[in-house]
Order: sequence, then structure tokens, then C-alpha cells
Amino acid sequence: MTRVPLRPLARIIGARAAGENPDLIERENIRQRHEVMRDKARQMAEGRLLVLGALFICGFVLIGARMSLLAVSEPQEPRTIASSTTITAQRADIVDRNGRVLATNFDTHSLYVHPQDLIDREGTAKQLAAIFPDLDEAELLKDFSGKRKFLWIKRRISPEQQQAVHDIGDPGVLFGPREMRLYPNGPLAAHILGGVQFGREDVATAEILGVAGVEKFFDDYLRDPAHGGAPLELSIDLSVQAAVERVLYGGMRLLNAKGAAAVLMDAHTGEVVSLASVPDFDPNNRPRPLTEGDQADSPLFNRAVQGVYELGSAFKIFTVAQGMELGLLNPETPINTSRPLKWGKFEIGEFQNKNYGPTLTASKVIEKSSNVGTARIALDIGIKRQKEFLGALGFLEPTSIEMVEAPTGKPLLPPNWSELSAMTISYGHGISTSPLHLAAGYASLLNGGTRVNPTLLKQKTRIQGERIVRPEVSAAARTMLRKVVTQGTASFGDVQGYAVGGKTGTADKPRPQGGYYKDRTITTFATVFPTHDPKYVLVVTLDEPIETSGTKPRRTAGWTAVPVAAELIQRVAPLLGLRPEVEPGVLESVTLASSN
Amino acid sequence: MSYLEYRLQTVPTGLRKVLHLNWPLILLICAIASVGFLMLYSVAGGSLSVWAEPQMKRFAMGMFLLFVVAMVPIWFWRNMSTVGYVLTLLLLVYVEFAGATGMGAQRWIDLGFMRLQPSELMKITMVMFLAAYYDWLPIEKTSRPVWVLVPVILIMLPVLLVLRQPDLGTSILLMAGGGTIMFIAGVHWAYFATVIGTAVAAVVAVFQSRGQDWQLLKDYQYRRIDTFLDPSQDPLGAGYHITQAKIALGSGGWSGRGFMQGTQSRLNFLPEKHTDFIFTTLAEEFGFIGAFSLLILYALVIFFCVVSALSNKDRFASLLTFGIAATFFFFFAVNMAMVMGLAPVVGVPLPLVSYGGSAMLVLLIAFGLVQSAHVHRPRQA
Repeated sequence: MTRVPLRPLARIIGARAAGENPDLIERENIRQRHEVMRDKARQMAEGRLLVLGALFICGFVLIGARMSLLAVSEPQEPRTIASSTTITAQRADIVDRNGRVLATNFDTHSLYVHPQDLIDREGTAKQLAAIFPDLDEAELLKDFSGKRKFLWIKRRISPEQQQAVHDIGDPGVLFGPREMRLYPNGPLAAHILGGVQFGREDVATAEILGVAGVEKFFDDYLRDPAHGGAPLELSIDLSVQAAVERVLYGGMRLLNAKGAAAVLMDAHTGEVVSLASVPDFDPNNRPRPLTEGDQADSPLFNRAVQGVYELGSAFKIFTVAQGMELGLLNPETPINTSRPLKWGKFEIGEFQNKNYGPTLTASKVIEKSSNVGTARIALDIGIKRQKEFLGALGFLEPTSIEMVEAPTGKPLLPPNWSELSAMTISYGHGISTSPLHLAAGYASLLNGGTRVNPTLLKQKTRIQGERIVRPEVSAAARTMLRKVVTQGTASFGDVQGYAVGGKTGTADKPRPQGGYYKDRTITTFATVFPTHDPKYVLVVTLDEPIETSGTKPRRTAGWTAVPVAAELIQRVAPLLGLRPEVEPGVLESVTLASSN
Repeated sequence: MSYLEYRLQTVPTGLRKVLHLNWPLILLICAIASVGFLMLYSVAGGSLSVWAEPQMKRFAMGMFLLFVVAMVPIWFWRNMSTVGYVLTLLLLVYVEFAGATGMGAQRWIDLGFMRLQPSELMKITMVMFLAAYYDWLPIEKTSRPVWVLVPVILIMLPVLLVLRQPDLGTSILLMAGGGTIMFIAGVHWAYFATVIGTAVAAVVAVFQSRGQDWQLLKDYQYRRIDTFLDPSQDPLGAGYHITQAKIALGSGGWSGRGFMQGTQSRLNFLPEKHTDFIFTTLAEEFGFIGAFSLLILYALVIFFCVVSALSNKDRFASLLTFGIAATFFFFFAVNMAMVMGLAPVVGVPLPLVSYGGSAMLVLLIAFGLVQSAHVHRPRQA
């Protein structure tokens, strides 16, 4: 760029010649130069302004676009995206075999506080403490004044409490919907249902998780929305269950027992119509597990499924039935019952040191409940076949019933299954199983001889199980059991019109430190009815019962479990739709008539 | 360029100056402020005395100051700009110091009738000072490194002080305002490219390093950044304002629920409803039409400022007008973007609408300077 000199010589000289001030020329030139510079700066500034203006316009467009976008958007309440999966609260109902509700859901509310939104902290704390007596006013006020922005007050509140809190009227106190599990029948069928607890939770919803029983076993099924809210149908009959629990509880109290359990099962399908264990609890307010002592003393303990006991003489029928199945004997075969039966240094005697003479027929062995006779049959059967037979009846494994507790009801078996074990097991000692095991074993043996698996689900179709014994053997076993009631140890068990057959079992309770208590028993009565057309199997077990009507306290099954079972059958049979009927002719009565 | 070169005889004098004020600009300011009064009245649940009345009083006082500032010749303000900048900086240091020793943090100075935040004042004094600096600096030196470094330091000093308060919103406005003046003054674009490039590279590096061996920040710091950038991840915590604001905007729709009918803001869903988030009330009650109209008003303010600056041959006056216009733009752009979830929540009020004394007075003084520049512009004889 060529610059114009500030004082061009030619013009200066010219000006001087003309008598003008040459400084004016310089000033003129300075001004021109400045103007050129200024124009340049302005041009550049205008370019920059264009860029800036474009940016501003972009800003306007962006904001305007966002504004219109938001204006047309549907307002949406905030959702927690933080937790990766949404919590599905809807849990399917549980109903009994007739569709009556055992467990359902109920809408309540939770209560929480946003302390920064509270208008009157002191007043709110005071009124909340008045509504919920378990809350401490000072504690609340401290929490409200702290840094926390969110505070749970109550997980579940009743509608009345909600109204009262609502009436406080403080905008910082808020409610969240909260679905809860409701067991409308209270403690009825508590052990079967188990219970629930809250899992993950947020303000809007909370997860309900099964913690025990059917609720836990079917947790995934119940929470699966794919089932469309279809209820879970159990095999339980609510009316029968109510009667069973009532009678069982009464029996327990009357006989001063620690606890009692009963299982009522369809002999052909294995459907558990009623399963009860007392003492029980209310699943709406599940007690905490015991922190010390024996868990078996907790009301949460399900004696029918989790409790494994030596069920005693009730086992004898399996030994005799197997003998018949193997062709070793028939009901009239004489069995050597002479005492004592010595095996090494051990001696097997009879209950209460009775003496049944040198021989008894097989039928009488059951009727009189002879340990020696049963043990001799077991020796003929042998260890291997005995084990196979008990295995086929399901006594060597936990039951497959649909409860989470089932695997804990694992039978206790002798570590070394010797011939001595075989003999004691033949009359129900040295093997501990749950009452449910016994019920399933009785059902399998006596329903005609096909295996059933205990189940809590209502069965739509009848599955023919694996054959255990021939139908004749099954029928013969039933006849023997009927005689136990009509002539033997269970005479209290005869309920008019229902042809009850069954076998008692009285076992001394084992001491934790080894050996047996002399004055504590587990008494069991396992029955089938009616014997001429087996429909149901019932097992009643009492823990440490004492019958005190006589001069001496009585602890045998015949005096304890049998009357309770009889009362149960009396009450329950009509509910099950059984009509009292006249038994078809029995062999003895025919003989009796002819001898007349 | 000295003001001695102005053709002073063409500049109006005395009360005749009033006739030469930029009246459209004044009317726009009044219109925007009136929107603010309406909203404050509505937010207070139909009560004047809570927020609207104090705001009106402050606006009246601010308008008076605007006229006073506008009457004073612009060259006086230019000569005062260095003094103003240094004084404001000292005030900033003072509150920083007093805040550290006194009871809790104190970010303002009590003037009796109002509380003055030096950081607000800094928004104008810095613009004034930078405009004066580039007016004084010979144009050919504008892009020399030393002469670029000086304004950078002079911008960063108050920015760092304000950032320590901590007031992220104001520091961003200060930086953006200062940077804009440097840009318009003609600092070589390579400087801006370098700064922006470095910043982008740093951000990329920080995020690239996440999960690598050479991770630059701690995990929890990343999580904080995540929530800061996308508050919707935490709708009940950090994202609460934004979520509620979006609901308000969405429920406003095109024409709004009607004056005093907004639910989100009036039912106490929104904290800060009368200050930073007042825009949501407008959007809810007057809908897109109302919100967009306000945006147009703001755009017109910028437009009139730019026209005035372009027609002004004086470099200081022109730079000052641009600088104030840019600061004003960043003010409402950041606020609206923040409320609508386009930008993180940094705490910037909506200019002339949000309740608050300092910001309003400072803005009106700034527009006084714009008016002064407009009135006292050099004119062709």
C-alpha cells in the first residue's frame, strides 16, 4: 500500500508560496489516514458482526424450536429411569380349589416427606406424632430440619390414617400408592401361603416378594404379567382347612401338646385338601424368625412339611404289605412273635413290654402292633428290598410339594442301613419323616397300589402313578387297618358310617444329647377312609401330648392322636361330600352270623 | 480517536437530548418489564405486594437511573470505565474476603435500599472497560499476543472471583460477554479457534479417559457431570426443576391455561418460580404464543441495539452497545435454554422479568449507557 506522506513536499512548498499554514495540510492528511483506518476496522467489525449475528439467530431459532416442541409435547410426570427395570407390582391372587380367595392385593398408601417443601415443620412433626404414636416428635423435627430432601415416614398407612395426615394439609407431606398383599382369612392356611415382604421400592410403587410357602415357591409365576392376572388355584379346600385347623388346635390344647400337624390328602391324586400345623401365625403380619433356640418351636415352623419325626408303628403296615406283595405271607400267615428277639447285643421287645404269645397272624401283628412280629418279617424281606420299597413310596427323599420349605423336610435315615436298622425301621424307628411323607405313603399303598406325589395345586387330570403293590395287597392292607380301628389299638377312631381304617404310632422323642425321653412322645394316627372305597388319607401328629383323664397320664396315640383324628373325620367328611354309608359285609361278621 | 474530533455542535444538548433517545428501545424494555410484573403477580397467587410491587418500585428507580446515565455524555463514561472496572474488582475481592470471615458466604453489599451484588455490576463495568481498551488500543496492535493477553487476564480475574463464590451462571455470562467484545474488536480469529479447540479437546480427553487406565477424573465426578448435563437421569433430585419446568411448558400448549391458571408454578411444584424459573409460569399460562412473544421482544431489543451500534461512528460507543447487547442475549438465551432443558441449570435469571434487584438495576444502567451512546453519537454536519 502506498502511503500518502503527511507533509508532501510539493504541497508544502506550494502552500508556503501561497502564504498558507503548511500544518493544515498535515492535519488534513492525518485525518484522511485515520478515516481509511477506521473504514478498514469498520469493514472487519461488520464481518465479525455478521458471524455473531448468525450465531444469535441460531440461538433464537434453537430456543424457538425447543419452545414449540415443548408446547406440543404431552406433559409427562417424571419417572425414575435410574432403576433399570420397572417394578411390576401386580401379583396374582391365590384361590382355593373352589375359587375362594386365599391371598389378594389391596391398595394402600405410603407416606413420605419432602422436608424442604414443608411450610410448618414443628406443626407437622407434632401432628404426625399424634397420628402415629410410634413416631417421636423430636426425632421427626430433627429429620425435617436436616439436609435430607426425602424422608420415608411409613411404608403402609390405613385409609383413616391417610385422611388424618391429609388433613394436616402441609404440601411437604406426600402419599405414594402402595399395593399390599392381603390374606383375608387371617391365619387360615398360613403355613401353606407363607407370606410376602416388600422388595425394591420407590415413591410410586414397591415390589412384593414371596418369602415363604406357596408365595415364594410360585413367586415368579405370581409376578409374571403373562398370566393375565389368572389366580393360582390350590388344591386346598378353605372350609375343610378351617375345620381341620380348629379341631387340631382344640386337640392340641385339650391334650396339652406342644404342637400338632395334620395332612388330609386325596388318596388317588395326591392333592392336599388340607394341611395344618399349629401353633400358627397371621401371614398379614408375619412374625420374625426366632433368633435363638430351636426353630421348630417357632410358629413359622411347618410341622407337617418341615418336621421330621420317628412316626413309629404307623410304619408297620408298609412292612406287612411288602411281605404280602413279595408272596412271603398272607393275612393269615402265622408270624413268630416269641420274645425276646435278640440281635447281637440288642433286644427288640414289645411296646410297654407286652407279650403277644408265640405266634400271631400277620393281620393280628398289625392289629396288636407287634414290634417283634414286624421285625421278623423285615428280616425275611431283607435290607435291599426294604430300602427299594420305602424309596418307591417316597420315604428316602424330601417331598416334592410346591412349597419352598419342602426340601428342608428331608427324611433322616440310618447312616448305615444294617439288619438291625431294617428291623427297627420296619416298625417305624430309626427313620424320621414328615407327616406329609407318611400321608403320601399311605395314599400310595392304600389307593389300590399306585404311587401319588403330594401336591398343592388343583389337578385337572388324574395321572396314573407307578404301581407299588398289587390291588389285592392294597385291599388286604386296608382290611387290616380297618381291624386296627374296630378291634385294635385305635378303637376311638371308629367314626360311624365312614369305615375308618388306620394305624397308630407312638414314638419316644429323641433327646438332643442322644437316647430317648421316657415321658415325651410323638403320637401319630394315619388313616384311610372309607376302607372299602379309599377316598382320603389323613395323618394327625401330636407333639408331646398328655391325656390326663385317667389316674395315670397317658401318652399313647390311641388316647391322643386317634380321638383328634376321629373328631376331624367326623367334621370334615360331610364337607368333603362323603355320605355316611353302611360298610359292605366283612368276612368276620359273615362267619359270626353262620356260627350263630 | 479523541472526542475532540467529534463534531460537538451536532450533538444535542440539554433537555433536547430526551428527543434523541432511542425510544423504541425504551418502550421494549418497559414491555418486557411489564410481562415480568404480570408474572410475578400471578406467581404470588394474585398478590401485588409479594413480588410485583417491590419489582415495580425497583424498575421505576432503574428507569430514573437509565435517564440520568443517558443524559451524561458517553465520553464521560469512557473516561470513567477504568475507574469503574477497578472499583468493581475491589468490591468483588471485598465480598470474597468478607464472605470468608463473616457469618457464612456474603455475596452482596447492603446499600440500605437494596443489596448490590458486585458480580452483577461487573457485567457492565467489564464491557465498558474492554470497549474503552479497544478504543484506546491502536487498531494495528489488536491482534498482537501481548495486547490479546492483557484483556484475557482482565476478563479472567473477575471470572475466577465469581466462580469461587460459586456462581457458575454469572461467570459464564462474564466470559461470554468479554469474549464477544474481543471478537467484535477484531482480535484475530485464530485466537478464538485455539481457545475453542483446546476446550473441546480437553472435554473430549476427559470423557475419553473414562474407564481407561489414565482416567482423568474420579468416578463420582463423572457421575456428577452426567447428572449436570442430563438432569433427567435424576428426576426427583438434581433434575427436579427441569422436569417440573418441562411439565409446565408442555401443559401450557399453544395458547396456555390462561392468566393465573398455571398449576405447576402456583401449586408450589417449582422452587425458584419467581426468579430463575419464572419463564415456566409464562409458558404455562400464556403457552407457546406468550413465550414466543417474549422471545420476539428480546430479539427486538438486540436488533435495536445492533442498529444503533452500526450507525455509531464512535468505536467506544459502538463496542459498548454491542457488548451490552451480547451480554443481554446471553442472559436470556442461557436462562431459556436452561429452563427448557437445553442447557444445564446454572442459575441465570431471566433479564428484566425475574424477581431481583441487582440484575434489574444493572441492566437498566447498561441500557442507560446504550442510550447515552445513541444520543451522543457523532453526526454528519
